Amino acid sequence: MTSTKLPISRRHFLQVGAGAITAAGMLGTTPLFASGTDVVKLQFMYPVGVSGDINRIVTGMINNFNASHEKVQVEPIYAGSYDNTEQKVMTSLGVGETPATWLPINSALQTFLGMDALADVTAMAKADDIYQDFLPGFLSICESEEKLYGLPFQCSTPVLYYNKDLFAKAGINKAPDTWTELMETAKALTIRNGADVSQWGLTFGGGWHDWIFESFVRQNALVPWQKDKVMFDAPEAIDALEFWVKMVKEGVMPSASTWQGSANDFMAGRTAMLYHSTGSLANLRKSSPFEVGVAFMPKNKTYGATIGGGPILMAKNQPDAHLQASWTFARWMTNTQNQTHWCKETGYIAARKSSWEGEELKAFANEVPAAKVALDQAAYAGAFLQVPGYHKVREYLKSALDRTLAGEIDPTSALKDATKQSNREIERLMRRRA
Amino acid sequence: MKPSFLKKYGLHAILLPAALLWIGPLLWILVTSVKTRVEVFDASSGLFPQNFIWDNYPAAMSVAPFGTYMMNSFLVTGGILVCQIVTISLAAYAFARLTFPFKNLIFSLFLLQIMFPIYAIFLTNFLTVRELGLMNSLPAMIVPFVASGYGTFMLRQAFRQVPTELSDAAKLDGCGHLSTLWHVYLPLVRPTLIAFAIISIVTHWNDYMWPLLVTNSESVRTLPIGLGLLAKSDSGADWTRLMAATVIVISPLLLLFVIFQRRFVDSFMHAGLK
Repeated sequence: MTSTKLPISRRHFLQVGAGAITAAGMLGTTPLFASGTDVVKLQFMYPVGVSGDINRIVTGMINNFNASHEKVQVEPIYAGSYDNTEQKVMTSLGVGETPATWLPINSALQTFLGMDALADVTAMAKADDIYQDFLPGFLSICESEEKLYGLPFQCSTPVLYYNKDLFAKAGINKAPDTWTELMETAKALTIRNGADVSQWGLTFGGGWHDWIFESFVRQNALVPWQKDKVMFDAPEAIDALEFWVKMVKEGVMPSASTWQGSANDFMAGRTAMLYHSTGSLANLRKSSPFEVGVAFMPKNKTYGATIGGGPILMAKNQPDAHLQASWTFARWMTNTQNQTHWCKETGYIAARKSSWEGEELKAFANEVPAAKVALDQAAYAGAFLQVPGYHKVREYLKSALDRTLAGEIDPTSALKDATKQSNREIERLMRRRA
Repeated sequence: MKPSFLKKYGLHAILLPAALLWIGPLLWILVTSVKTRVEVFDASSGLFPQNFIWDNYPAAMSVAPFGTYMMNSFLVTGGILVCQIVTISLAAYAFARLTFPFKNLIFSLFLLQIMFPIYAIFLTNFLTVRELGLMNSLPAMIVPFVASGYGTFMLRQAFRQVPTELSDAAKLDGCGHLSTLWHVYLPLVRPTLIAFAIISIVTHWNDYMWPLLVTNSESVRTLPIGLGLLAKSDSGADWTRLMAATVIVISPLLLLFVIFQRRFVDSFMHAGLK
């Protein structure tokens, strides 16, 4: 009996199934692309790292671009966080449908170069004013072996935020300028109730503390990586971590924090000083019930900072006309006027000298001196950890920092371990690439 | 008197704190969504805001087209659920009541599907969706989920508990497989269906990574992506607007639950009694 019935139900099954899928198909609105004309259509994938409004600002800029360019139409694609964007771009690369342009974090440069995904735009840049007008530190985030692969668009660095009210209460009238002063100031601002700390002198934004750590190493006059290896075990790096350990041991800084939590603590007055991104400026200013001060990260041998955020990169695997259009787009997004506008709206640092020489940003810098601090510090800034497999390398380094600050291991052995693990991972990736 | 008093209110004494525990975060979300940004972290301003600031809602809505997103979320979640109910009830019926070659092997394969984390099959799913030409459309978010190993498993177990006498009786009355399924099995396993529906709705309503991967245009995106605009911030989350958007995102589910609450609870009780 069963066997005679079965074919019928199977047919029913197929009918119902097909019906369901067709119904589902009709729900969608597949966008139709005009084709056959000589309009070049590009995709631009970007993350939103600083605040929700950025999505609107980017879309607005691209609408303006499309309105003013007849031959090029760009489709803005919001792709989540930096990590999400990277995943989305890589998935597209994997199936051969690369977006023409995208905006990753600058550390990903070697990763994409390893996939042979990036177009070399050095010649186009040389024919233009790129090398003259962009701040060299910022331009360096899209360079590898003297070749240029993109244009810096949204750049940030860590800066030192401080609570002016708490400074006044402690009778301190200036932000620390050297590591020694940093320690003293942090000591003076730490308040204890017995064993508990009710107010920390200093907190680092956790989660990105490896980024802040690189700034400290740079303040010791060393860039702790090259494009195929890391040197976290160099004396300069060990010295920086020893300084961190000293601050934790003195009880002026918590041994761990989170990115969100540290900003929250600062706004609630639970820490007097905070190392955080320039990108947080607008949020910290708007949300703190006190006046927020911004200063250079204190120097040791020199000032130093690491650049976060990223450049607009262009895909190699596209026809010449498309690459030309991609360049037009990237060039337009980073032109003087747009960088000025972008800087004022978001808190990212404008990457062009001519933007800062313009009246608009001069006035802005007068009104918000903090923006000027970020610019001045940018003179000492460089790219962040551009090595293959930077995700894993960051995890190794963060784990080394965390374990050291928690007192599980001494700085030297922690950093030696991290260096060994990182270099092994980098070598593995380089071998695979070859 | 006393024991009955205890009986009457003893349970409440336990349940009330539990309810508070459950409602606490919701209340906090609501309260934060009407605060100013300064008040959120200023301990001295107390739990409740001085003035109720409703501006956060329009400000949150302006970040992305939340209306479109919500419509899409409904279509995607609903579409997945309808397809799933069809496929899992048919598959579960086959596994529970029919005999066919390699039945156990195939069922094991179904179970295997439950054990794969979704991330492991992202790329293959992505390729399939692209081959079907569904990229950047609502079906791209529906198609990979129209079958559910988990749902099939749940429903098969439920079907097996239905006495065979009932389906035999239906057969005598002239029912084929489909009518037996419709008139006998499905009504009897309603609690399981509802339990599965809740799990499915909550999972797909909140899904973030897959929709982000397969869609590009705002016109086909879903609510969690809008929420992501406010949550994933280098600069520390934008708490007031994030909470306002959260209220908007969770309210349909919450409303659904409140309306059908009695049904849900009843069905779970029945499921328990079996």
